[in-house]
Amino acid sequence: MSAAVVSADDDIFEPTLQSILDQKTLRWIFVGGKGGVGKTTTSCSLAIQLAKVRRSVLLISTDPAHNLSDAFSQKFGKEARLVDGFTNLSAMEIDPNGSIQDLLAGQGEDTDAMGGMGGMMQDLAFAIPGIDEAMSFAEVLKQVKSLSYEVIIFDTAPTGHTLRFLQFPSVLEKALAKVSQLSNQYGPLLNGFLGSQGQLPNGQNLNEMMEKLEGLRQTISEVNAQFKDENLTTFVCVCIAEFLSLYETERMIQELGGYGIDTHCIVVNQLLFPRPESNCDQCNARRKMQKKYLDQIEELYDEFNVVRMPLLTEEVRGKERLEKFSDMLIHPYTPPE
Amino acid sequence: MPSLLLVVLLVEVAVHLVNTIGATAINDMLWNIYLALPTEVSKQATEKNRLQKEYLAIRRDLNATSSQDQFAKWAKLRRQHDKQLEQLEKMKASHDASKAKFDRTAGVIRWSATSGVKFILPWIYGKEPMFWLPNGWFPYYVEWILSFPRAPLGSISIVSWQTACAAAVLLFSDSIKAILASVLGTKSAQKQPATSTTREKGPTPASSTANGKKDS
Repeated sequence: MSAAVVSADDDIFEPTLQSILDQKTLRWIFVGGKGGVGKTTTSCSLAIQLAKVRRSVLLISTDPAHNLSDAFSQKFGKEARLVDGFTNLSAMEIDPNGSIQDLLAGQGEDTDAMGGMGGMMQDLAFAIPGIDEAMSFAEVLKQVKSLSYEVIIFDTAPTGHTLRFLQFPSVLEKALAKVSQLSNQYGPLLNGFLGSQGQLPNGQNLNEMMEKLEGLRQTISEVNAQFKDENLTTFVCVCIAEFLSLYETERMIQELGGYGIDTHCIVVNQLLFPRPESNCDQCNARRKMQKKYLDQIEELYDEFNVVRMPLLTEEVRGKERLEKFSDMLIHPYTPPE
Repeated sequence: MPSLLLVVLLVEVAVHLVNTIGATAINDMLWNIYLALPTEVSKQATEKNRLQKEYLAIRRDLNATSSQDQFAKWAKLRRQHDKQLEQLEKMKASHDASKAKFDRTAGVIRWSATSGVKFILPWIYGKEPMFWLPNGWFPYYVEWILSFPRAPLGSISIVSWQTACAAAVLLFSDSIKAILASVLGTKSAQKQPATSTTREKGPTPASSTANGKKDS
């Protein structure tokens, strides 16, 4: 039985993530896929491998269900923290929905007391779709920029979420352009009856606020440009050899193409390699199904680095196991004969 | 230049034709003629038709392919499908835009060639008599009305002539309609006996003719 057919070394696109390690210009790496396919394990492994060849690596989880702490058996928070046992690998977990509350709380304590104009302006600004997540994202990026990491790996939330996240810059830029234009047109009018200082009722300044928004817009468009640069950013798709996962991956790859975000790596996780003499019916049946989808993947994504990862008999948690697992991203797994 | 009397009559005929056939129908007809000409727009239209055919073929293939069993083939078809759909939508938008532009231009030209001329002619030739009435045949007030608004008394003004032409055209077209209706009615009545009894269907053409006449 040919259960050992994994390697396709004659391919031009080798089945490893070596190309990512070799591409020294990379700054942002996104790891994404459907839920439960092993995004966190893959991103942790990739981070470990990158830490071996780069000066400093930061791993960020934007998944509301944070798993980094789980994978490394160590608590991470909103601030970047070194991972135990590494000198150049840090990790942090951000909640894309949480930080907007902080932001709002910091803006004006007496908003409720005054009601009226200030609240309205805020409502207007925050009514832009996706602005909350984008703002927290921008906040993180600002932080990350000042921290000067060589590579930043994003462990993203399941598919739909990720795509929305990456879409923000474009959406937001459009929305903010509208707001800026509005303020330019009606600014003089508003200033006319707000007084020469442009003071809003709750002590905010109209011009200041517009400047802030404009600044945000600039940050975001800068980030947008970086994400669309294939020398700086790449997206690693993680999937399992099953129909729905494959379907989502295809959709994601098409959408990423639409946004102009580079992607050339696919990690196929949780592959079964039952021993030839194994008489586990489920394993053999599943292996057969996975084989079918693997062939389809090979046919469809002939211009991708398709990495095949085995399903282990143990949970991949803790530094040692992650390191062992991560090795298979670089050296293709060969099942025991 | 042909005589003014004839021009006014022709303009009335044209206006009446436009009103009966309908502006949209005329525009559509002109648009089809325009598309048959070797222009940029017609090239685009044939391209669009070709693309639409291809798109439908791919769509059929896509529906016939099982996404579970032949994922690679299905996904490739899907990519093509999406790309073509996008292209098609873009083309459709530009096609619609050029049609709207054409419709606007055709509408302006059509209006000025018919109704525009109809309004302008009395304005230019308002003071000219179309022809003179025999002296003393009509009382003063009739002469006054016929020469309304600016033509010399005792003549027919262009406005009166227009009104007369319009009435004549209407009468003429209505009688043609009635004749056509009665001819078609008898024809269909002659056809019918093959399928059913003659006696029962006998009165029908007569009544339809009567209806046609009543309309006129």
